[in-house]
Amino acid sequence: MAADHAGAASSPGARALTAIGIAIALGFAGALASLVPAVAGGAAPSVAVPWLPALGVALAFRVDGLSLLFALLISGIGALVLLYAHRYLRGHPHAARLQLFLTLFMLSMLGLVLADDAVVLFVFWELTTVTSYLLIGFDSESAKSRRAALQAMLVTGSGGLALLVGLLILGGVTGTLRISEWIAAGSVAGQVAYTAVFALVVLAAFTKSAQFPFHFWLPGAMAAPTPVSAYLHSATMVKAGVYLLMRMHPVLGGTELWFWTLTVAGSATALWASIVALRQTDLKLALAYSTVTALGFLVLFVGAEIGIAITAAVTFLIVHAFYKSALFLVVGIVDHATGTREAQRLGGLARTMPTTAAAAGLAALSMAGFPPLLGFIGKELKYEAALAIVSQPLVLATLLVVANALTFAVAAVVAFRPFWRGEPETPRMPHEAPRRMRAGPLLLAAAGFAFGVYPELVGRYLVEPAVAAIRATPMEVDLKLWHGVNVPLAMSVATALLGLAIYAAHERVRAVLARAVSALPLTGERAFDASLDALRSFAAFQTRILQGGSLRRYLFATWLVLPAAVGSVLVLRGGLAWPASPSPVPVYAWPIVLLVAAGSIAPIVTTSRLASIAALGLVGAGVSLLYLLFGAPDVAMTQLLVETLTVVIVAVVLLRLPRFSGRDHPGSAGRARDAALAIAAGTTVSALLLAVLASPLDPSLSDWFAANALPAGFGRNVVNVVIVDFRALDTLGEITVVTVAACAAYALLKLRPGASSEQEGA
Amino acid sequence: MRGLLIAPVVIPLATAVLLLVLRPSRRVEHALSALGCVALLGAALMLLVRVAGGGVAAMQLGDWAAPFGVSFVADRLGAAMVTVTAVIGLAVSVFAMAEIDDRRRRFGFAGFVQILLGGVCGAFLTGDVFNLYVWYEVMLIASFALLTLGGERIQIDGAVKYVALNMISTLLFLSGCGLLYGLTGTLNMADLHAKLPAVANQGLVTAVAVVFAIGFGIKAALFPLFFWLPASYHTPPVAVSALFAGLLTKVGVYSLIRFFTLIFTGDAAFTGALLAAAAAFTMVTGVLGAAAQNEMRRILGFHIVSQIGYMVMGLAIATPLALAGAVFYTLHHIVVKANLFLVSGVVRRLSGSGDLARTGGLYAQAPLLAALFLVPAFSLAGFPPLSGFWAKLFLVKAALEAQAPWIVAVLIGVGLLTVYSMTKIWAEVFWKAPPEPRAALPPLRGGERALLFGPIVGLAAITVAIGLWPAPLFDYADAAARELADPRDYVAAVLGSRP
Amino acid sequence: MEVLLAILIGVMFGASVYLMLSRNWVRYLFGFIVISNAVNLLLFAVGRVELGRPALVPPGLAAPDGPVANSLPQALILTAIVIGFGLLAFALVLASRAWAELGTVDVDAMRVAEPREDAAREGRDA
Repeated sequence: MAADHAGAASSPGARALTAIGIAIALGFAGALASLVPAVAGGAAPSVAVPWLPALGVALAFRVDGLSLLFALLISGIGALVLLYAHRYLRGHPHAARLQLFLTLFMLSMLGLVLADDAVVLFVFWELTTVTSYLLIGFDSESAKSRRAALQAMLVTGSGGLALLVGLLILGGVTGTLRISEWIAAGSVAGQVAYTAVFALVVLAAFTKSAQFPFHFWLPGAMAAPTPVSAYLHSATMVKAGVYLLMRMHPVLGGTELWFWTLTVAGSATALWASIVALRQTDLKLALAYSTVTALGFLVLFVGAEIGIAITAAVTFLIVHAFYKSALFLVVGIVDHATGTREAQRLGGLARTMPTTAAAAGLAALSMAGFPPLLGFIGKELKYEAALAIVSQPLVLATLLVVANALTFAVAAVVAFRPFWRGEPETPRMPHEAPRRMRAGPLLLAAAGFAFGVYPELVGRYLVEPAVAAIRATPMEVDLKLWHGVNVPLAMSVATALLGLAIYAAHERVRAVLARAVSALPLTGERAFDASLDALRSFAAFQTRILQGGSLRRYLFATWLVLPAAVGSVLVLRGGLAWPASPSPVPVYAWPIVLLVAAGSIAPIVTTSRLASIAALGLVGAGVSLLYLLFGAPDVAMTQLLVETLTVVIVAVVLLRLPRFSGRDHPGSAGRARDAALAIAAGTTVSALLLAVLASPLDPSLSDWFAANALPAGFGRNVVNVVIVDFRALDTLGEITVVTVAACAAYALLKLRPGASSEQEGA
Repeated sequence: MRGLLIAPVVIPLATAVLLLVLRPSRRVEHALSALGCVALLGAALMLLVRVAGGGVAAMQLGDWAAPFGVSFVADRLGAAMVTVTAVIGLAVSVFAMAEIDDRRRRFGFAGFVQILLGGVCGAFLTGDVFNLYVWYEVMLIASFALLTLGGERIQIDGAVKYVALNMISTLLFLSGCGLLYGLTGTLNMADLHAKLPAVANQGLVTAVAVVFAIGFGIKAALFPLFFWLPASYHTPPVAVSALFAGLLTKVGVYSLIRFFTLIFTGDAAFTGALLAAAAAFTMVTGVLGAAAQNEMRRILGFHIVSQIGYMVMGLAIATPLALAGAVFYTLHHIVVKANLFLVSGVVRRLSGSGDLARTGGLYAQAPLLAALFLVPAFSLAGFPPLSGFWAKLFLVKAALEAQAPWIVAVLIGVGLLTVYSMTKIWAEVFWKAPPEPRAALPPLRGGERALLFGPIVGLAAITVAIGLWPAPLFDYADAAARELADPRDYVAAVLGSRP
Repeated sequence: MEVLLAILIGVMFGASVYLMLSRNWVRYLFGFIVISNAVNLLLFAVGRVELGRPALVPPGLAAPDGPVANSLPQALILTAIVIGFGLLAFALVLASRAWAELGTVDVDAMRVAEPREDAAREGRDA
C-alpha cells in the first residue's frame, strides 16, 4: 500500500481536495494564531448559535488557552499531513477520499476542542470516531485493516456513549449544557452523581486515549496509512481523551478519586507501554506503543492538582505532538522509499536520505530528552512535577525514569539506528524523499529544536494560557532550558545512562520481552476478541432458540402471551367477575350450543377431511342459528352464505392437497403442551368475556341507532342502516378487503415464477 | 377541511381503483401511480399545515354526530404519520418503477401499493376502534397481496408465516374491540376516553388493555411476538420490503401510543412497566438477532424489531420528553429504515445477492451508493449529526430524568450493538473485496439509475436535514407529545363541547 | 345465556388454538374458521343477547316499539364475517400454492425463507 506510484499522476480530485484541505487548515491556523495575544491576555472569545433551544443545546464554541493550543496543533500539523499524504498516496485510486476524510477528521477535531456545549462536544467526539473508522479502514480490502477499524470503532464508540450519558447527567445536575458555565461553577465533587459522572467521563477519556487496558486498539490502528497514523494516532485523536480530562479538570478534578485513578492508570500505562514498545521490530508499532506511553504520562500529570504538574502535562503535550508526528512521517518516508518498516533490515540510510535523517535525528533527540530540544524541557518538567505531586515520590520517580529510559532506547532504535548504523537490506533502493514529504518532518523537528532554544515564546503564549484554562486560575509559567543543578537534572542524567544501556542490549532485551509478553494470560486484545466471539455465539444461540424457523413455535410463543399476560392481569389486578343475573337459557339453545362445541372439537380428533369439513359446516350453521335465535336475521343469512362459500372453497382446495397425516402435534408431550395452552387460552377468553358481561352495558348508541334509523337513515332495517349509512366507512373498507383478496388470490393462482406469458390473464 | 381529513384515504383508494380497472400500459401506469403519490403527499402536507397551525382537526363521516358515526381525527401525531407515509409511498413507488418486473406490474402491483397506503392513512386518521380494525384489515390484505405477488417459493414460504401470525393479531384486536364495547357501549376513541374511567372493574380494563397490547404488539413486532417479521420481510421484492419496513410496524407503534395515551390511561404504572419490559427485551433480542444474520435484508429486518423497542420504551417512560422522543424516533426511523432497504435493493442489483458472503467491493465500485448507505446506517446507529443521534439523545435524556438507569444502560448497550451490526454490513458489502470474480451483471442504465437512486438520495437528504436542524421537528414532536399527554383538545375536537 | 355463550366461546377458542398449533397449514385454517366464528359470537355476546326481536322498524312506526336486539354488534359482525372470509379465501389459495410450489403443507417443513442450515452457519460468523 505504501508503494511508490512513481509513474502515476495525482487525480484532479485528490489535488483539489488537498488544496481545499490545506486552505482550511491554514485558514484556521492563521485565525487562531491571530487570537493568541488576546487569549494570552485572558480573553476567551466565544460564539453561540441556538441549535435545539428546547433542550438548551446551542452551537457554542469558545477559544481559551487550552482549546487554542489544541486547535493550533490540529490545524498546523493537519496542513503538513495533508501535504505529505497527497504525495504519499499519489496515484492511489482512493487518494481523493483520503484527503476528504482527513479534512473531515481535522474539522471534527477542531470542533471537539473548540466546543463549549456538551452536546456539541459529544457530536464532534463521535465524528472523530466515525472519520477515524473510515481512515483506519482505508485499505479496505485488507481484512486486517477492517478488523482494526472495527476494534477502534467499538472501543472508542463505547467510550463515546459513556461520555454522552456522563455529560447528560452533569447537565441535569448543573442545569446547563454550557461547559464554560460548568467551569465557572466549579467542582461538582459534592454531588451525589459525581462518582457516576466521573466514571463515565474517565471511561470515555481512557478509551479514546488508549489507557491500559483499553489501549489495544491503537497498535491495531497502525494498519492505517502512515499519514493517518501520524495525524490521528500521535498528534490529535488520541489526545482527545487527554483534552477531555484537561477540560473537565475544574469540574471533576481535585478529589482523591480523580487523583488516584488517573495517577495509577497513567503510570501503569506509561510503564507497560514503554516496555512493550521496545519489543517491536516494526517501526510503526514501536512508535504506536510509545505514543501510548506518552498518553500515560499525560494522564498521570493531569491527575494532579498542583500547577507544576499541569504545566508539565501541557508542555509535554506540545513536545510529543512535534516529535511523534515527525517520527511517524519519517517512518512513512522510509517505508515509501525502501519498502519496509522492519528495524532489523534498515540501516545506514543517512547516506542516501540526509534531510530525512536530519529530521529524524532532531525528533529522536527530542523524544530522548536531550538538551537543547524542547523535549528536554518537557522531561525536566515531568520529573519536577513527579517529585511534587506525591509526598513519597520514590516509586513514581523511579517509574518515570525507567519509562523514559525505555523511551530513550526506542527513540534510538527508531530514529538513530536505521540512519546511522548498519547497512540497508531493503527491497528497494533507498532514495531521498520528495520535497512535499520532507517538509512536514523537517518543520516539526525543527520546531522542537527552535522552541527548545527559545522556550519563552511557547511558555508565555501557549503553555501559560492553557494551564490557566485547565486550572481555572491564572498561573505564571517560566520555561527555561537551565534550572541549575537539581534533582530533575540528576534524574535526566540517570535516564540517559540507563537508556543507553538498554539500547546497547536491546536485542537481548527484546528476546526476553517477547517470551514474557506471549506468556501473559490475558491482554486487552484477547479480552476484546473473546467478548466479540461470545457475543456472536450468544447471538447465534438466541436466534436458534427464538427464530429457529418453526412456525409452530412462533405460534405457540405468540398464543402463550394471551393467557400468561392477560390471565395474570385478571388475577393480580382483580379483574375477574361473574355476571350477577345472567339471562335464562332457552331450552332449544342447549342442543345448538352443544352441536357448535362438538363441531369445533371434531376437526381435532378426526383425520378425515370430509368429516372436518362437515364439522366446520356444523359450526357455521349452529352459529347461524344462534344469531337467528337472538334477533340477528341479517347476520344469520350472511353467516350461512359465507359458510357455504367457505365450505366449497375448502373442499376445492382440500381436493388438491394430500390427506391428513394425523401426526400434527409432534409427540405426546407436544400434544399435551398444545392442549394445555389451548385450554389456558380458552379459559382466559371466557373469563374476560364473563367479566365484561358482569358490568352494565351503556345502550345509548344502540338506542340512538334504533331511534334514528328511519327518520335520519330512511331505512326500516336498523342493522342495514348502520352498515350502509351510519358506519358506512366500515363497509367501504370491508369491500376493499374482499376485492383485494380476490385480486391477490387471482394473482397468486395465475402469476407463477417463470411461467410463460400466455398463462397470464388479461 | 373535511375533505382534507378524508383525502389521505380517498386519494390512494381512487388511484388504486383507476389502476386496477384501467390496467394501463407501463408508462401510463407509472404516471398514474406517481401522480397518486404526489397528490397524497400534497394532501398530507396541507393537513399537516392545518394541524400544526390550528390544532386538532376532526370530522364526522356522513355528518353523523360523534359518538354515533365514525370520526376522523388528525392531531399532530396523526398528521405527521400521514405525511411520512406519503413520502415513503412516493419514494417506494419511484424505486419500484425500476425494480418491479413487468409481470408483477401487470397483476396489480401499483394498485396494491396504493391500497396499502390508503389503509395505513386510514389507520392513522380514524377515531373509532372498529374502524381502525377495518383499516388494519385493508392494510393486511394489501400486504398479503404484495408479499405473494410473483409467487416465488420463498415468497410463499414467508407469506405462510406472515399470514399465520398476523391473523392472530386480527383476532385479538377484534376481540378487544368487542370487549371494549361491552364495557362502555361505545367505539369512539374520544368517547372511550371519557367513559372508560367510569367502569367499575378497572382490573378488567387493564386486562383488555393487555389484549390490545398483544394485538398491536404482534403488528408492531414487539417481543415475544415479532417472529413473523424476520421470517418474511426478506422474501418479496425490495420495494415491497422497504414499504413494509417503513410503515407496517409503525402503525402498530402508533396504535400503541394512541391507545395508551388516550384510552387506557388508568393503570399507567402497571402498563408502563409492562411496556418497558417488553421494549427492553425487544431491543436486545432484536439487535442480537441481527448480529447473527448474514444476509442484508435479514439483518435489517431484525433491526426493525430492535428499533421498535426504542419507540415503545419512549411510550413506556411516558414523560413529555420521552413521548416527544418516541414520536421523533418513529418519524426518523420510518425514513431511515425504508432507505436502508432501498439501498439493499441496489446492493442486490449490483452484487447479485444480499448474502454478505457474496457481496463486496462496492466501496470502490459504487462510491455514491457507499456514501448513501452510510447516511441511514449511521443514523440508525445513532451517530451525529444525523437524525438518529437526536432520537437516541432524547430517549436517553428522558430515561435519565425518569431516574431509570437500567433503561439508559439498555439504550446505550443496544446502540453499541447496532453500531457493530451496521459496520458489519459496511465492511462486508462495501469494504471487503468481492469473493470471486463476479458474473458480469448488466450495469445500471441512466433512467434506471435515476429511479433507483433518486428516492435514496431524497430520503438521505431528509435524514441529514433532520440531523442538522433538529429544532423544527423536535418542537413539533414536543407539541404532539403534549397533545397526547393531555387529550382534552382531541376529545373536544371530536365530541364538541362535551368534556 | 351469557354464561353459556361465554363458555361456548371459550371452548371454541381453545379448540381453535389447538388446531392452529397443528403442523398442517390447512388445519391451522380450520382453526381460523372456528375462531373467527368464536370472535363473532363474542361480538354478539357483548351486545347483551336476549331472546330478541330483530332490530326492525315496524311499518307505520318511526322507531321500534319495545326492546329490540342490539343493532351495533350485528353490524360489526357482518363486517367481520366478510373480512374474515376474504382473509380466509386468500389463505386457502395460499395453501394450494404452497403445496404446488413447496411440495408440502407442513409448516415446519417450509424452510425456504429461514433455511435450516442457518442455525449451524450463524454460529460461524464472517
